[in-house]
Amino acid sequence: MRSYWFGDVDENGCHPADGDTAARVQRLHTLKTTMDGFVLPGWEDAVACGVCSDRATYISTLRELCFAAAEQQIREQYAGKDTELLQMVRTLDEMDEVINLLSERVVEWHQVRHPTFSRKYRKTPAHLMVRSISQRGRGALGMVAEQVEKLAAARTELAIEVSSRAGKVMPNCSALIGGLVAARLMSHAGGLHPLSRMPASAIQVIGARTALFAHLRTKSPSPKHGIIFQHRRVHNAPKDRRGKVARALAGKLAIAARLDYFRGEAVPEFLERAQERIDRLGTGDMS
Amino acid sequence: MIRIGDVLVSRGEGGVYGERMLGGARIWDPFRSKLAALYYVGTGVELTAGMRVLYLGAANGTTVSHVADYVEIVYAVEFAPRPMQDLLEVARRRPNLVPIMADATQPEQYAPLVEEVDLLYQDVAQPDQAAILARNCAFLRPGGRAILMLKTRSVDIRKTPEEVFRATLGELAAAGLEVVETVWLSPYHKDHAAIVCTKRAAGDARE
Repeated sequence: MRSYWFGDVDENGCHPADGDTAARVQRLHTLKTTMDGFVLPGWEDAVACGVCSDRATYISTLRELCFAAAEQQIREQYAGKDTELLQMVRTLDEMDEVINLLSERVVEWHQVRHPTFSRKYRKTPAHLMVRSISQRGRGALGMVAEQVEKLAAARTELAIEVSSRAGKVMPNCSALIGGLVAARLMSHAGGLHPLSRMPASAIQVIGARTALFAHLRTKSPSPKHGIIFQHRRVHNAPKDRRGKVARALAGKLAIAARLDYFRGEAVPEFLERAQERIDRLGTGDMS
Repeated sequence: MIRIGDVLVSRGEGGVYGERMLGGARIWDPFRSKLAALYYVGTGVELTAGMRVLYLGAANGTTVSHVADYVEIVYAVEFAPRPMQDLLEVARRRPNLVPIMADATQPEQYAPLVEEVDLLYQDVAQPDQAAILARNCAFLRPGGRAILMLKTRSVDIRKTPEEVFRATLGELAAAGLEVVETVWLSPYHKDHAAIVCTKRAAGDARE
């Protein structure tokens, strides 16, 4: 018996696939085809099957099926909860860049308007400068500063959403390292699935690409940490112990990523033990 | 192929990707499309109104839309969801375009959908491009043509494009394909070669 999208053909003739397009899509996914000696479908077979009347209707019916199947597949691929989180993190990182660039530019512009103004000896962070410029600046400068402020507000909102979404999508990683950093790791890896397949040593140096390749090419020392440096246990650890903490943390993150991908829920026993180990190394108790 | 002066065009509904129009026809830009580049630097395969085409690696539907302007029907296979979204939009407006979301390395996924074709076109960023073409030749009628757009950099970044090219020719010959034309697509596309082959008709196996 040969199975095609429109039905099954055997020596007794053709048995058309029943049901509407959705049912045919379902059936299509269950077909097990091998290429050895496979006879390709022809529109004449489908006409004999009673599925369509001529070549034009063959094509249009087939197209309808292909559209429905493709749309369903796209939806399934996007349904992976990490797909949207990935877009959110990347938006967040790009917003940071844009906000920094524009803030610096606005301050520079402001300085030109006020020749006696200097930021030296003032402890005014850029975002506060932007706020005062937006309140006092006239014309386009004031408006641009205002927009930068609004962008910064949107960024804050987005960061909160990323954190909480990461808490749901990757609960174990988020518990270990915080939602934002967990999401960044995932974004660098290209998704939760690729992250879950990464060895701990790779996770340890995610975000330290320049240093890593410098190490591979020249004799410079290997990087101890990439974005996991943002974890307090890593950056608060004494310098001679940072590498050790980073290595342990990366090891636990690799396990956490696999738990997140394959189980999708927090595993308290694992988290407790992992946290304990990282804390012990970080505080210097080597026992 | 339709040319207005020296410019390659296709006749169909415009506005697919912001292409320019010339005398009511869509300009087919060799810098954007490898198939168009092949028609500029080599001979390629004449697309005719009755042709059935299997197109592997359809991506956003840019080149596919031009092919569909020429031929009877195009089966367009694409794997990634993001470009597939665009391909579906293009296909909605072209009744002779059948979009298939499947992996070109696994022809059994779409074998129940695709009839025998006159032309097999492949432009995929995969390491085993010759093997994929050979596997998909099951869809090609005996005597039909296959066009392989060889992305040498996807095969092996450590080898020179010429090495990859020679190795691929060997693989195609071993798969029973007769190479009829080879051409590098420079200056339009870097490190890309077009290889046109024929599937030997049964009983036409030469010693």
